[in-house]
Amino acid sequence: MSLFESFFGKKKSTADVAKNRLTIMLSHERASCKLPYLDDLRNDLINVIKKYTKVEDVKITSHNNQNLELLEVEVILGK
Amino acid sequence: MGIVITVTSGKGGVGKSTTTANLAVGLANLGKKVVAIDFDIGLRNLDMILGLENRIVYDVVDVMEGRCNLAQALINDKKSKSLYFLPASQTKDKDILNKDKVKALIENLKESFDIVMLDSPAGIESGFEHSIFLADRALIVSTPDVSSVRDADRVIGIIDAKSERAKNGQEVEKHIIINRIKPDMVEAGNMLSVEDVLSILALPLIGIVPDDEDIITSTNTGTPIVTKEKSLSAEAYRNIARRILGEEVEFLDIKAKKGFLSTLKGMFK
Repeated sequence: MSLFESFFGKKKSTADVAKNRLTIMLSHERASCKLPYLDDLRNDLINVIKKYTKVEDVKITSHNNQNLELLEVEVILGK
Repeated sequence: MGIVITVTSGKGGVGKSTTTANLAVGLANLGKKVVAIDFDIGLRNLDMILGLENRIVYDVVDVMEGRCNLAQALINDKKSKSLYFLPASQTKDKDILNKDKVKALIENLKESFDIVMLDSPAGIESGFEHSIFLADRALIVSTPDVSSVRDADRVIGIIDAKSERAKNGQEVEKHIIINRIKPDMVEAGNMLSVEDVLSILALPLIGIVPDDEDIITSTNTGTPIVTKEKSLSAEAYRNIARRILGEEVEFLDIKAKKGFLSTLKGMFK
């Protein structure tokens, strides 16, 4: 860290920004490449859930890091 | 029986052909019998980087279509005697390659060479797929910028899905080569570092090549830089060649050159 930075606080480096952007983008892309059935699964789930509730939408997100794959299904029943 | 090593990247212009040329020469100079094949049909370049463009009579498509035999098409490098080169066809279309013919050719080459090096085309179309289909190992070249790293990640996924090894439940051994790193920019926090790229791609590193203008001049003359004595990038390539053969070689310490003036400047940045 240079003298100037230590006086006035460090600005976030562009390399850190690049790393964050890439990490977020790739965790999304990896999931959609690995799970090509994601859209179909989502539609089927909506149909089943609609049968019992008034919910119109289901949020499915997949997370993945180096050693864990996670599929998160979120159904909000009411506010 | 030789092994097949594919050099690939996804994104174009990151230094695949330069890497292929330097590693092929480097491996040949370590005593291996090497054949380098340019798979970039229609956009061949490995010939010029190796300095062998004037000796081409037949190309890889001629061999596969049976217009000549393999020995007629193979070009022997005069400087590195155990290096042979098979050029891409410049007049044909990318889609001319056929899986069975590619397989027959590569199986044939594996009989008489220690290492078959394939220079894959950019992109993820059929030419690329042919080049990774029979790979035992893959070297993924990436520069430390977002588009290159993103495309490298995509390509890694495709190798895992579409190679013959993957289909047989085996794995293609994959390594990362980080190309054109600028140590002063990394130090200033303006370029992804080696650690950043590796943590994103989650694969082992096999080499770091610094950004080096001498690589441009060596391409100008068609003499791969790897043979040059006092050059950091040449040493980087020689080290990668040794690591490919299983030797443990310490990674080069690539640091920014600092004069008195730049140290002074750094204080007030």
